Amino acid sequence: MNQIPVTVLTGYLGAGKTTLLNRILTGQHGKKYAVVVNEFGEIGIDNDLVVNADEEVFEMNNGCICCTVRGDLIRILGGLMKRQGSFDGILIETTGLADPAPVAQTFFVDEDVRRRTWLDSIVTVVDARHVVQRLEDSHEALEQIAFADVILLNKTDLVSADELTQVERRIHSINATAVIHRTQRCEVDLAAVLGRRAFDLDRILAIEPNFLSEDDHEHDDAVKSVCLRTDQPLDGTRLTGWLQRLLVERGQDLLRTKGILSIAGQDKQYVVQAVHMLMEGNFTKLWIPKENRESRLVFIGRNIDEPELRRQFEACVA
Amino acid sequence: MSLTVEQDKTSLLDRIGTRRMLDAYVVSVAFLEEGVLAAALGDGRVAFIGSESADASRFVSVHDGACLSLSVDLGGERVLTGGDDGRLVSTDADAETTLIADIAGRWVELIAVSVASGLRAAAFGKTVRLFTRDGAAVGTFDHQNTVGGLAFDPKGRRLATAHYGGASLWWAKAGSQKPKPLAWSGSHLGLTWSPDGKYIVTAMQENELHGWRVAGGANMRMSGYPAKVKSMNWLPKGRYLATSGAASVVCWPFHGKGGPMGKAPLDLGWGVEGVVTVVAAHPKHDVVAAGYEDGTTILVQIDRAHPVLVKRPGEGAVTALAWSADGQHLALGTESGFIGRIRLSDWRAPT
Repeated sequence: MNQIPVTVLTGYLGAGKTTLLNRILTGQHGKKYAVVVNEFGEIGIDNDLVVNADEEVFEMNNGCICCTVRGDLIRILGGLMKRQGSFDGILIETTGLADPAPVAQTFFVDEDVRRRTWLDSIVTVVDARHVVQRLEDSHEALEQIAFADVILLNKTDLVSADELTQVERRIHSINATAVIHRTQRCEVDLAAVLGRRAFDLDRILAIEPNFLSEDDHEHDDAVKSVCLRTDQPLDGTRLTGWLQRLLVERGQDLLRTKGILSIAGQDKQYVVQAVHMLMEGNFTKLWIPKENRESRLVFIGRNIDEPELRRQFEACVA
Repeated sequence: MSLTVEQDKTSLLDRIGTRRMLDAYVVSVAFLEEGVLAAALGDGRVAFIGSESADASRFVSVHDGACLSLSVDLGGERVLTGGDDGRLVSTDADAETTLIADIAGRWVELIAVSVASGLRAAAFGKTVRLFTRDGAAVGTFDHQNTVGGLAFDPKGRRLATAHYGGASLWWAKAGSQKPKPLAWSGSHLGLTWSPDGKYIVTAMQENELHGWRVAGGANMRMSGYPAKVKSMNWLPKGRYLATSGAASVVCWPFHGKGGPMGKAPLDLGWGVEGVVTVVAAHPKHDVVAAGYEDGTTILVQIDRAHPVLVKRPGEGAVTALAWSADGQHLALGTESGFIGRIRLSDWRAPT
């Protein structure tokens, strides 16, 4: 059975999530999507594959203290697989007040979901005008930005060019790996949103995260990104041991961890992904001969002690 | 006829079976009277396949969307199906359909039928509804979370539901009532009630089973599965509970004092790769049919090491398995729409 790509749409109330969803469903892309909407949404979409969900967040008894999953999604994705062939992808809309972690964790934890689907990307719609205020008063708005692979910075016509630059910097200091698209009424090339394989990281981490210059630290958001890099190959055993320990001890604070790493003695890239404590690491494609085998590791989280992480990372150099 | 292990890997389907491709996910299969096989499909149709030839079939479009559940209806001549269109429908092989309930926006994933009490129950998301033989709605049972498992007790007087945080026991009758809670943290999916009425077992999100003794509520944990248990079925007289979720067919002993407490389960059918996705216990003998994620299907017998091959790998994961009431017919379905059936006149256990 083919694996179906899943795109998760998040965004605070009023940011424009529904506009984006409608744009995707009416766009000329030749694809058919099954849509999972939340029960309290304002959506009136004409699509025979709309499923109402009511965000049942379940705690897992798997020893992972912060591990929650969306029980309703496990059920709905299983049910949708029975209608195989009638759609090309699945869109999941979350409520404006939802924490994205349980959705993302569902794709790590549930074997059936993993077998049948893959999480293509988490797309967050952000209201350029109100996001600064939201970041002050809403924990969820911050988490939604932190978890995003793709951010639509929407309603750009309502702010000045200066304000826009400020907002963009602020977003990048929280989430250094998200790709930001400036939009009005969510007008965006849908190829920038769908079918990204963003969770595969390849492209995301290839982007130079050189935006983390010192002057960006004027806003002290609770969540920030730290990018670690090295040209020297890493010791695989030491690295995975460190990451596992780190995520067990600090997983509650570390929202997302992503890395493409060069392991001594290995020809392939080692790609790691984590959502809180749940980590997955795989050797993926070959390093290109003579390519600069630079390891890049990004942490997005709270209470991050950057010098300490850097020291520990460098201790993994082979 | 005697069935023995085939060293050359010729399957029973190859030798004595009929097969057909239905071009839609097979959600569930069940035998009606006179060997008619009913199959609920992912495109909303129900197929009725006659006993004589697999080609003699009739398709009835029952649900607008996918069928999600199927059970033989009261009387044994009709099937009761639930769909993602929120409808609960009774259908016979002549394509006559009766709508029993229609709750738009709700998925009907769970159905239970009690021949003993003549009642039918179905879950519509967080609500379970109870219907009489005539289709009259006689009870509504609301839950905090979506119901993941549903079963009557052997007499059909009580109804057990599984959900997040445990299970609930209801009286299968009208009127407001408070359920008896059986608490155990975690998400409980499937549920089965032992044929003697003494035990309730749920399948959990965490790749394990949880059991309760109905009298007293003592807890039992049955763990060690590499995958989620999606299928559970009692062997004759409830001596063992056969389960999917492992490379072998794991059968927990429920005969004797204390049920499976402190006892190891039987592991049947070693030698097949992959994970068992569906099990169906023979109605009369200690034999279990088991389907795998790669399409392999086998028969295993208690106290016997080697399985009998029913179907070779291919055609996607086995998603449905059923025996006829007399145990002479076995049917299977897969996620890619394959349907196979074999007739085992005079089943005699391999010797």
